[in-house]
Amino acid sequence: MTARLSSRRTRNWFRNAILYGLLLIAASIAIVPILWMILSSFKYLEDMFTVPMTWLPDPWNWHSYSDAWAQRDFTRYFLNSLFVSISITVGNILICSMAGYALAKFRFVGRQFLFLVILSTLMLPLEVTMVPLFLIIKELSWPNTYTGLIVPFLADAFGVFLMRQYILGIPDELIEAARIDGMSEIGIFFKIIMPLAKPATIALSLFMFREAWDMYIWPLIIITQEQLRPITVGVALFMSNYTTDWNQLLAVAVIAMTPMFILFVFLQRYFVQGIALSGLKG
Amino acid sequence: MSFVATMVAGIKRRPRPRLGLKAKHSMWGYLFLVPAVAILLIFRIIPMIEAAYYSFTKYDLFSPPQFVGFKNYIDLAGDPVFLQSARASALYVVGSVIPVWIISLALAKLILSVSRFRGWFRGIIFMPVIMSMVVVAVLWRFLYYFPSGMVNTFLGMVGIPPVPWLTTPNTALLSIILIAIWRASPYFMVIFTAGLQAIPETYYEAGKIDGTNAWTEFWYITLPLLRPTFLLVVVMSVIVALKVFAVPQLMTNGGPAGATNVVPLQIYKTGFEFFRMGKASAMSMFLFAVMMVFSIIQIRLFSTSGETE
Repeated sequence: MTARLSSRRTRNWFRNAILYGLLLIAASIAIVPILWMILSSFKYLEDMFTVPMTWLPDPWNWHSYSDAWAQRDFTRYFLNSLFVSISITVGNILICSMAGYALAKFRFVGRQFLFLVILSTLMLPLEVTMVPLFLIIKELSWPNTYTGLIVPFLADAFGVFLMRQYILGIPDELIEAARIDGMSEIGIFFKIIMPLAKPATIALSLFMFREAWDMYIWPLIIITQEQLRPITVGVALFMSNYTTDWNQLLAVAVIAMTPMFILFVFLQRYFVQGIALSGLKG
Repeated sequence: MSFVATMVAGIKRRPRPRLGLKAKHSMWGYLFLVPAVAILLIFRIIPMIEAAYYSFTKYDLFSPPQFVGFKNYIDLAGDPVFLQSARASALYVVGSVIPVWIISLALAKLILSVSRFRGWFRGIIFMPVIMSMVVVAVLWRFLYYFPSGMVNTFLGMVGIPPVPWLTTPNTALLSIILIAIWRASPYFMVIFTAGLQAIPETYYEAGKIDGTNAWTEFWYITLPLLRPTFLLVVVMSVIVALKVFAVPQLMTNGGPAGATNVVPLQIYKTGFEFFRMGKASAMSMFLFAVMMVFSIIQIRLFSTSGETE
């Protein structure tokens, strides 16, 4: 009896060792390149590709960040990205929640059809529509404007879907009770639906911020003015012009990923839930 | 997990408000829907209709569009550069999505099979997903550096001579496929994790009574019950792979010899470097047609959830 128990315990220990070993390998593949990038951004150029490779910078180079920053107006690029991403995020929270609320809690002619129209835009990513969308933006004289960077992305089919799914779970009785109390429809949306849908809103804002911060092909097409460039295009241009200064290029890349990293550290749970939801199927 | 629980409640509950909510408030339904529909109509759907129109014209931005019938499509069918880019995209999609499915499902199973440090592992493995594609391109160009970047250094440790990853046609495509696997697997791991957790424990208990082992359990219980999740992952991963742009543009600009010149990159070059809007629109229509096949499956999954029990 005790012999069998202990053999089972050994087997469990063995199983766990393998599982954790595999997880460690997976985690290393994910994180080591990123750590290597961060560490290398603090190296001097001549220490960049030493054989054999050395992990820690020796000596540490504290200038690569400020040197890189001096090459181009990265502060401006960074602030541009921040402004555009926050605008797109806030717009989507409002517009997608309203649409999700309408689709979840109102009955009207053509509701299912309009839901399908919205979902159909899932198959119209920018990679497909870039040419005609550019022509429309040109028609509106929006190239080289923040408007051109923001307005086309103020609504998103996945965002509407996410908010609709979440709001479906809010009991109708709450809405009816508020109506009986004489609350206005707009009041109900802002004072009842929005607060109750907060977890979905956080997931949606992370999702939209990530997409907006990642925006690359669109500013590449419509922005030619230096002062309107987002950080992604700034990094890309830096890469094509200064490929030899690896420490500076890596420094700029590290700065470009910092906002997402900070959001992720604090709001990891919502990130993961937002993605998990896209896989939920009734 | 109350968040997911509320979502599941939303799916289980049939969205059918009573009569009182109905007619009187339907106008508000439309009003709340207007901004989203307007934005998506003007900046997604109308552009697509215009793409269809431009695909039948010759248009260089400077003189007005000129109707040319099916010329652009006929040209594309015989254009070696376009055919090669279609081939590059096809190879990229097939080469990246299949490993992504296997790895992401394996990672999900792995995460769920341990009890301690689960959050830490999931958080760390997820890191590549939060990086901008531009940053990913910088990072991997650094890792693939010839002859002494990290990838080549590690290969050197097991006795493989350095490979000029980004400058020979075969390895260049493989390089960007490996990046896709690195970045996409953690994303789909999260979706698979949610799908696996949604399978009721009772199925596994019933299986145990019938004497399943780990393999038969996975094959006869997990996989069939995971079918909707799997279908969604297949569709989403293919669409993501079809859209790839920043990485090939920044790492190889489609080269060497067109090996990584995927369709979105070729559309961009045709439209915004050569200003051939008609031809670029015809390519867009082609990409749209391919994407539509996969998207329709996704839209059906999304639009029926909440309607079915």
